[in-house]
Amino acid sequence: MRRRTLLLSGLGAAGALVVGWGLLPPRSRLGSVDTLPHVDGEVGLNGWIKITADGSVLLAMNRSEMGQGVHTALAMLVAEELDVSLARVRLIPAGYDRLYGNVAMFVASLPFQPSETEPGHETSLVKSAQWIVAKVAGELGINATGGSSSVADAWDVLRLAAATARAQLLGAASLLWKQPASELKVSDGVVSHASGSSAHYGELVKNAVATPSGTVRLKEASEWKLIGTAAPRIDVAAKTNGSAQFGIDVRPEGLLYAAIRHCPMIGGGPGAVDTSAAAKMPGVVRVVRVGPYAGSTEALAVVGRTWWHAEQGAAELVVAWQQRPAGGLDSRAIEGALERTAKDAAASDGGFVFHSRGDVAAAEAKAAHRVEQVYRAPYLAHATMEPINCTAKVEGGKVEVWVPTQVPGLARAIAAEVAGVPLDAVTVHVTYLGGGFGRRLDVDAVGQAVRIALECGGRPVQLVWSREEDLAHDFYRPAGVAVMRAGLDAEGLPVSLRITSAGDAITPRWMERDIPLLAGPVDMPDKTTSEGLFDQPYGIANQRIASVATRSGVPIGFWRSVGHSHNAFFNESFIDELAHEAKRDPVAYRLALLGDAPRHRAVLLLAAQRAGWPGYGPAQPLAAGRARGVALHESFGSIVVEVVEASIEGGKPRVHRVVCAADVGTVVNPGIVAQQMESAVVFGLSAALYSRIDIEGGVVKQTNFPNYPVVRLADSPVIETHLVASTASPGGVGEVGTPPLAPALANALFALTGKRLRELPLVV
Amino acid sequence: MEIVVNGAAHTLGDELAAPQMPLLWALRELLGLTGTKFGCGVAACGACTVHVEGRAVRSCVTPLESVRGKRITTIEALGSAARPHALQRAWVVHQVPQCGYCQSGMLMAAAALLASNAAPSDADIDAAITNICRCGTYPRVRAAIHAAALELRDGKAA
Repeated sequence: MRRRTLLLSGLGAAGALVVGWGLLPPRSRLGSVDTLPHVDGEVGLNGWIKITADGSVLLAMNRSEMGQGVHTALAMLVAEELDVSLARVRLIPAGYDRLYGNVAMFVASLPFQPSETEPGHETSLVKSAQWIVAKVAGELGINATGGSSSVADAWDVLRLAAATARAQLLGAASLLWKQPASELKVSDGVVSHASGSSAHYGELVKNAVATPSGTVRLKEASEWKLIGTAAPRIDVAAKTNGSAQFGIDVRPEGLLYAAIRHCPMIGGGPGAVDTSAAAKMPGVVRVVRVGPYAGSTEALAVVGRTWWHAEQGAAELVVAWQQRPAGGLDSRAIEGALERTAKDAAASDGGFVFHSRGDVAAAEAKAAHRVEQVYRAPYLAHATMEPINCTAKVEGGKVEVWVPTQVPGLARAIAAEVAGVPLDAVTVHVTYLGGGFGRRLDVDAVGQAVRIALECGGRPVQLVWSREEDLAHDFYRPAGVAVMRAGLDAEGLPVSLRITSAGDAITPRWMERDIPLLAGPVDMPDKTTSEGLFDQPYGIANQRIASVATRSGVPIGFWRSVGHSHNAFFNESFIDELAHEAKRDPVAYRLALLGDAPRHRAVLLLAAQRAGWPGYGPAQPLAAGRARGVALHESFGSIVVEVVEASIEGGKPRVHRVVCAADVGTVVNPGIVAQQMESAVVFGLSAALYSRIDIEGGVVKQTNFPNYPVVRLADSPVIETHLVASTASPGGVGEVGTPPLAPALANALFALTGKRLRELPLVV
Repeated sequence: MEIVVNGAAHTLGDELAAPQMPLLWALRELLGLTGTKFGCGVAACGACTVHVEGRAVRSCVTPLESVRGKRITTIEALGSAARPHALQRAWVVHQVPQCGYCQSGMLMAAAALLASNAAPSDADIDAAITNICRCGTYPRVRAAIHAAALELRDGKAA
């Protein structure tokens, strides 16, 4: 408890800088009729919803669409409560008001065990920590799309905003027609009464502004017409005809283009520079020196009349690049150091203890059998399909930025800082994101683009990184090592579990480069280092789950599913090892440990049945040379089990089928959930089979897709998604399918070959 | 330099349209056809796929001089709002896109496949669609290609 108390006092100190906190019930985030900008023909009812003269609903969209379907899901919440079709909802930018911040994401970042946060059973410690963080997040209004939190964050707020607007619109009709509101009906935004009166929302909204909502009631689940249906996504048409606009597609008048060359050594910079050859290249406008912004490595940018001309110019730069003062980073040395750190900590009860229960030492001493293994995971790049880019224009003390970002408020802050203008002189336009995966929670390219734009005499400039620059200068998923130790009883069931992991803490590194205001001199314990380990569901009486937060110097960031991305591999492979030691079926073994976890049991049983796991439902014989593996993992409030069917072809693993079962709480759109499971499986499969970033002498060795391969269509398995019906509040969807894939595949390969693979990527 | 894109002839100024300039950048930055995407610059990902004389090519490594006077088709002219290509309809029915960035290239590669093979097998699709999608839309891409192929065959039969 002592460390927990420290943690909370840290949060309190950060929070004490902020005055005037209010509690954050959904009502406090509704905003007012003046929150959204005034536009003729549109009437705002609150900070989220406007109604147009023709009866369309405008929804202030505060989340970035990067493929996860959030624009559709949030529009569905509003359409449901307003009783309009999805087609009647149009999206408008949300702006920067604090009410658009992501409270759920910050609350979820607290390092608490699920057993401590069960609604209605929270400890006072948990409650006070959630309260403080919610208030800090609310006050800062950090508008972020990440942590699979968008629907959870919007769930109460958007439905209440829409239901309140509906109540006001019906109230207006009631007063106008002198009929009780309870007798009014709404069909696709048209309000009517049996007496014959009828008007659409656009005709009622002016009166509705001044009409009190009265008591607002959200629909019961049984009344939903849209929530829970596989409604078609609202962005699909534009994404099949080339008209969807990504960051790289904006074309403001007079646009110039910029290519960039970072110092190849991470953290280094330019020494002597000769730009004469580059400047003479056709179509080149100028060369700009670009300092470090929000964690980026120093660089030179070449501005040209097309990006190709700029890139041709960049190839002619002559630069004596200099190593960073601390020397060149070496991933092999770092991974070796991580392993020593984890082993030393395991041997000495070291590391920050994220979870402790029972008496591990005593249980280990009494155990009939002990198993200890070391697991490893490498650095990984995001490799979003849309290369890193940002378009900026600086003119007359105003800055305009177009950027595919997950954090528009942070983009605005760095643009203002670099241009030396107040925040309100900056406008950020968020485009569609050609993939995010956490990479676009960083705003390095925004700082760079504004810096370059300052040199372009008021003309807009579009900075685009080549794929080579992207892979060489990412904020990587950190490498990690875990020492896993279990004591088994005579039946082979674990009586103790001791996990000691080592790896860099992501959140403090991200905070110091992206929200320096909040970064303290001392790192607070970062849940990302141990998530998926300390909060695992298995009923093991004695546990010590600890992690050593290292500082390896490699720029690291959030990568789809964050700490779960490797911790699930460690944990679920190890549980499989224990099942094997116990000579028990992997599904039966897990079920035996999930006696107190009914939701997890249900998901595991569903997956086993649908996959044809022997002994669970109708048998599905496997083709010769194939085997199955299973893994279960909870992350971002959702539970996912995957059963992988694999074989070895040409000496390499081949995945044929993945059966995915999930409990994601209340499902807003099962079609999008299935899409995201498929997406997460393929993303996880690339990492499991191929991905690693190696750094030598400060230089990343991987340069482009030919040597940073990813799964292609021919390698892609059949993926089936099955959902457990749930009335719990919505959990995450976008990331939760990635963590179980690697261990399920490793477990299948073990079943196939008898060889246990304890390092990613998986090489047979 | 003259190139013919989506049925229209364009004269590109010699000052910028160098013979070795890749077609991708001419489309995106000289002609404003931004539906064709940049993904890798080395013909590895297929986001830049367009048709040259009906065949799928990766425009990021296709020099302008090699397509002078040839018939180039981009995603903007695969179908129209009134008459979308069968693949575009199948893409909507199967809800293929997620982030959507690679989808122009996917569609153009798939259209070239169907133009030469009316009934592609899974193996044919594996071989022809080597485009990269980080969102993992592959299973739906495969299903939508089969569906569009079937629709096109039925259309011809009727």
